[in-house]
Amino acid sequence: MAGRGMAREIEPAISARGVIKSFGRQRVLDSLTVDIPYGVTYCLLGPNGSGKTTFIRAIVRLLHLDGGEMSVLGRPVSEVDEIYSQIGYMTQHKALYPDLTVQENMEFYAGLYGLKKQQRVARLEELLEMVDLSEHSGRLAGALSGGMYQRLSLACTLIHEPELLLLDEPTVGVDPRLRQTFWEYFGRLTQEGKTVLITTHLMDEAEKCQRVGYMRAGRMAAEGTPEEILRQAGLRPILKLWLAEPERDAVLLRAEGYEIDVVGGVVQVRLESHARIKEVLAAVSPLDMRLAEPKLEEAFLRLSEAA
Amino acid sequence: MNPSPARAGVVALRVVRQLKRDRRTIGLIVFAPIVLMILFGYALSGDMSGVHLGLVDGGGHAALRAHLVSIQDFDILRLGSESDAERLISEGRLDGAVVLGPEGVRVLLDSSSLQIAGAIAAAVQAGAAKEKTGLQTAGQQKAQESAITTRYIFGYDLVMMDTVGPAILGLVVFFFTFINAAIAFIRERSQGTLEKFMVSPLSRVEMVSGYVLGFSLFTILQSATTLFVVTFGFGVPLRGSPITALAVVLLLGAGALVLGSFFSNFARSEFQVVQFIPLIITPQIVLCGIWWPLESVPEFIRPFSYMLPLTYAAHALRAVMLKGAGVADILYPDLLALGIFFLIFSAAATMMLRREVA
Ligand SMILES: Nc1ncnc2c1ncn2[C@@H]1O[C@H](COP(=O)(O)OP(=O)(O)O)[C@@H](O)[C@H]1O
Ligand SMILES: [Mg+2]
Repeated sequence: MAGRGMAREIEPAISARGVIKSFGRQRVLDSLTVDIPYGVTYCLLGPNGSGKTTFIRAIVRLLHLDGGEMSVLGRPVSEVDEIYSQIGYMTQHKALYPDLTVQENMEFYAGLYGLKKQQRVARLEELLEMVDLSEHSGRLAGALSGGMYQRLSLACTLIHEPELLLLDEPTVGVDPRLRQTFWEYFGRLTQEGKTVLITTHLMDEAEKCQRVGYMRAGRMAAEGTPEEILRQAGLRPILKLWLAEPERDAVLLRAEGYEIDVVGGVVQVRLESHARIKEVLAAVSPLDMRLAEPKLEEAFLRLSEAA
Repeated sequence: MNPSPARAGVVALRVVRQLKRDRRTIGLIVFAPIVLMILFGYALSGDMSGVHLGLVDGGGHAALRAHLVSIQDFDILRLGSESDAERLISEGRLDGAVVLGPEGVRVLLDSSSLQIAGAIAAAVQAGAAKEKTGLQTAGQQKAQESAITTRYIFGYDLVMMDTVGPAILGLVVFFFTFINAAIAFIRERSQGTLEKFMVSPLSRVEMVSGYVLGFSLFTILQSATTLFVVTFGFGVPLRGSPITALAVVLLLGAGALVLGSFFSNFARSEFQVVQFIPLIITPQIVLCGIWWPLESVPEFIRPFSYMLPLTYAAHALRAVMLKGAGVADILYPDLLALGIFFLIFSAAATMMLRREVA
């Protein structure tokens, strides 16, 4: 256990170095470099066609790379076949048999991974509960709604308790409450040391992840923790101050080196960090104030405009 | 990783569950052969009209040959060798044969229908007499008399249905297995399940074996019903063991499955699978020797006939049903050819289940 912990500190769960993949003349992965550490929920974000699915398929060797290097769970990607039993891959197509029932679909995947009867029964029950399909276990998968279908696909992907989860747009069509359940479940998995890589084009989901990579045209346009990305984009929290004498205080704050805008009589201070709030309040005494946190969405917009 | 029978079993179970739920396909599998048999049964009932006579032309005997050809009732089939003729008679597909050659005339007759044998013998005598007078008028002093030797071969007095029935058994199994397998594999692709398999411990060999196993159950169901209808409904003899017939059909079905899996790579939709029918199925129907003996197919097409699995299956099934052949009798070339066909296309199908889609 100790040895494994050491290895984990040194090596990321997935490491890509200058990965290149072209389809015909279209370069879909363009010198992609990224490290995905163990034990995090990593969100791969990006507009449609930016290469997210292609990257995931490259990780599980469904594609041959045209260049670059990659390792997965400490192995070169060329050996990834040998650790398929440790990987849970949820494809964008959802990969279910519409003419089998919910339960039969799950039993099939449990069988492929060699789950024993007892283990299988317990696991099925637990997962059906999690995806809220217990009451529908006898229904044909083809008769499920889009969101239910999605949930079943997730359950089938989790059935063998994989170390590494690769989920391609797992939350499309899932209602917000259940989405919350999913994220909590992913949180529990990462606490157990599992690694979860999720693609999405929904910006608000990124904020729930420990790390975020923003892909554009086959490259990482921005990468890091959500805070790091905000900083890269030059987005800072803004402190809005309602003051008795806004003009005078604005001059004062500028003199102290703050970036100030005055909008409709409200003084807006762009903070380098939250720690500066105290210092601002030492200089002026506002009648009222509000802190506006920057949005990741805006950061991505800025970063992609800059790119 | 070693192939695991357990995982192949998991795939087989899934295939069975899916097919079981597909009522229309089950209906087709069971009833289509019956409908087909009834159609053929009416169309082909009764004796074969005319006398089917093989002719092996080794040169000379122009007058005798002309005489035989001129007889309206005789349906002449030109053959390459005496052994071909002998085999066709023993299979009940010819009533007799005449072998012309410099060393004399040999007549092969089917001992099971003496009436027809008599007619053929009489016609040959008459032709030989003409030949004799022809030679005398040409001024030859001592016309060399053609030595006519007659040999009886144990054959059958068959109705058309008897020769066609066993082959139809092979045909329906081949047709339905091919189509169903191709569609199943196309679905695996479009559903994304194939991609998921690729990223699981399931190997490609296990997947193909699982399919063969699962489909075999339905092949058994289908062959059993077809066999039942052919023998009890149409009185086609079943002299050999039904188990042997089933073994032939299972091997043929396995070949059709991997062929379907292989060709699914060239279709983008289930609809396009249907378009393979004229390409894959029709040539087999035409060239497998159900309707006319392979020996009568033009020489340049014949090698092609010998590449088609249905050719061997039809031959083997006829031997089992009509002649009571056992496994040992049909091992070479029929079972061997079917086995080779299966192996080649399972290798091809497995290889085509590549990971990379693009
Ligand atoms: N198998 C393929 N053949 C050809 N082009 C492909 C293939 N897969 C993906 N592409 C192209 O690569 C680009 C990126 O696709 P993808 O990785 O699916 O993007 P995303 O998942 O971010 O929406 C798209 O322009 C797509 O058309
Ligand atoms: Mg995608």
